[in-house]
Amino acid sequence: MNKLLVIIRREYLGRLRTKGFVISSVLVPLIMIGFVVVPGLIISMKTGGATKVAVVDLTGKMYESVRASILTNRNDEGEDGARQNQPAPAGATPDREAQMRQMSRTLGTNYEVEQVATNGRSIDEIKHELNARVLKGELGVYLVLPEKILEEGRAEYYGRNVSDPIATSQLRQSLNRAVIEQRLREANIDQVRVRQLSKGIELETTKVSEGGLERDSGGAFGLAMFVGFFIYMAILMYGQVILSSVVEEKTTRVSEVLFSSVKPFHLMLGKLLGVSLVAITQYLIWAVAFGAFALYGVGMLAASGMDVPLPRLPLSFAVYALLFFVVGFLMYATIYLIVAAMVTTEKEAGQMALPVIFLSVISIYLAFPVIRNPNSSFAFWVSIAPFFSPITMLVRIITETPPFWQIALSLGVGLASTVLFIWLAARIYRVGMLMYGKSASLPEVVRWLRQT
Amino acid sequence: MSENGVTLALHRVSKTFDEFKAVDELSLEVRAGRIFGLIGPNGAGKTTTIRMIVNILAPDTGRIELFGEQMSERLQDRIGYLPEERGLYKKMRVGEQLRYFGELKGLSPREAETRLDRWLERLKLSAWKNHKTDELSKGMQQKIQFITTVMHEPDLLILDEVFSGLDPVNAELMKDVLLELKAERRTIIFSTHMMSQAEELCDDICLINRSRKVLEGSLREVKSGFGRRAIALRSEGGEDTLADARLVAGLKPYGDYVEVVLAEGADAQELLRRLVESGARITRFEQVEPSLHDIFLQKVGESA
Repeated sequence: MNKLLVIIRREYLGRLRTKGFVISSVLVPLIMIGFVVVPGLIISMKTGGATKVAVVDLTGKMYESVRASILTNRNDEGEDGARQNQPAPAGATPDREAQMRQMSRTLGTNYEVEQVATNGRSIDEIKHELNARVLKGELGVYLVLPEKILEEGRAEYYGRNVSDPIATSQLRQSLNRAVIEQRLREANIDQVRVRQLSKGIELETTKVSEGGLERDSGGAFGLAMFVGFFIYMAILMYGQVILSSVVEEKTTRVSEVLFSSVKPFHLMLGKLLGVSLVAITQYLIWAVAFGAFALYGVGMLAASGMDVPLPRLPLSFAVYALLFFVVGFLMYATIYLIVAAMVTTEKEAGQMALPVIFLSVISIYLAFPVIRNPNSSFAFWVSIAPFFSPITMLVRIITETPPFWQIALSLGVGLASTVLFIWLAARIYRVGMLMYGKSASLPEVVRWLRQT
Repeated sequence: MSENGVTLALHRVSKTFDEFKAVDELSLEVRAGRIFGLIGPNGAGKTTTIRMIVNILAPDTGRIELFGEQMSERLQDRIGYLPEERGLYKKMRVGEQLRYFGELKGLSPREAETRLDRWLERLKLSAWKNHKTDELSKGMQQKIQFITTVMHEPDLLILDEVFSGLDPVNAELMKDVLLELKAERRTIIFSTHMMSQAEELCDDICLINRSRKVLEGSLREVKSGFGRRAIALRSEGGEDTLADARLVAGLKPYGDYVEVVLAEGADAQELLRRLVESGARITRFEQVEPSLHDIFLQKVGESA
């Protein structure tokens, strides 16, 4: 037991101190944050100051409300007013619509609005003059509100740049609001009442389970896939580390000295646990970095008036997700351990990611029949079976939480098969390496396993 | 080590890989506080035997007793093993490396630290403690490996080709260390192809060839019990006597003397008397023992 700890400590501390670990621990969050933040910054980058908008109001009564509508677009306190003025379009949930508006508001442009007096000139004369101003750059955009705007619902937008989707949609929305407001006013309809009457519904999903009624936001299934994805990523990153760690001792011949001091099983177990701890440490660092960043982001958005829906998940699921992540990682890592035991150089292990990819892809596919029928006997067996259980059992826990003994059984089988595979790897390692000093084919491995 | 003076005993130990019998019914005893030479040609089964002794392999049949007990994992900590194929972690620092191996043999970190310092000093490597192992020369790495073998003060040391890769100065240093260890009543099993080294250091030897024991005993017994006897002779005349097949089995001329191999049953005294009678002038007449080298060649040749 003591020696096992010595091995784990070397694997763990030795790797923690490498430059690679430090760099990837710091760089990966930075890169990921960069991927999220930089595009957002670029998109919302405002080159230049406020856009000047000239409004040619041929109706003679719309200008003030249009101006207000365009300006309140930027104004946070005007949000409620704006919301009142715009009934939800059919099909979009209120949440979604609000989000879109918030989005364009955060990303939107500042406007300065001026009215163009007609002074009896013809519309063509006015346009001519405004076009010249646009070309000179004095004016960003001008809008023409025809006389029949209320009936026909058409307005004209002129500008040098008509392909800025944010600006055009923003102005369209502003006009939209002003026009609807005006129509309602003219029809003598109370706007507040319209808003109340046209309010959509929200579907609240509630899961019936043995633990009582639970609210479920529906995003949990994605989370099970997410855990699967994380296991897969962790394995791809650290499986190779385990492999090199074992093969290194073969090529440097350290293994013979080691075997005169420790059991191969302890050596393999120590390596697996040591490297797994490194992986977990790395993930924790990343999780803390992301968590801090996410909190910061949510805080920023909340401060700017956006309400961010946080996924609602029972704590028990988080615990299960963590457990299945750990067991899943260990289980898949043993594949690398076994292959490492069979080969003599890392090159020969080239194809070894294949079974890992194969098994994890299959378990993702298996998740679909399991979702549809989470309590079938098929689902039961699949969620107990090694390699498939981490994803499929999580899916079952989310859809229709199975009895606790099944979850415990699944974890137990996972751990037991991990131990079995470590034992197998240790055996292949010792027999193969010491007896023949060459890489093994499968039939040879089977034969060795029967020898001591 | 009160176990009636026997550190290690193998009782009819056999090991077969697939169809190949690597060790066949091997029995031997290694006595405490002595240097035991395990010699034999390549592929004779030396390494397999050693691996069974250090508990890396289990024998198919037979019994291995160490310190009077059945071989077990616990006893591994009382053995120090230097395999023929050296192995150190290339990228680890020398000090960390030694501490790791020491701890794997059950030393506490602190104890490992003081011992490795002492040994690095003794083998004149203190300056290298914080260097990465692959910055060291082969000979230095060899000495580092040796420290991993002895730092936990094992009662039984198993050294496979311990001198390979060492220059004469370091070889001499290593020899001194081995003799010190022997003086501390530690038992050393010494496996080598170099017969001159075995001859110089070993108290007892065991020669194995083709998986079987060919010869065993103290160096003295082995030599004196060995059939072939020879005389180094420098003389003028006496050719007739030397041609007598009843006395002389063969002649090997060396620089300024001849090695006379006595015939079966012939007596050296008889040869001397006949030579004197024949009027030869004798300037050298010396009974020589067969070297281990000769014994090795003849025994391995015989059983081939």
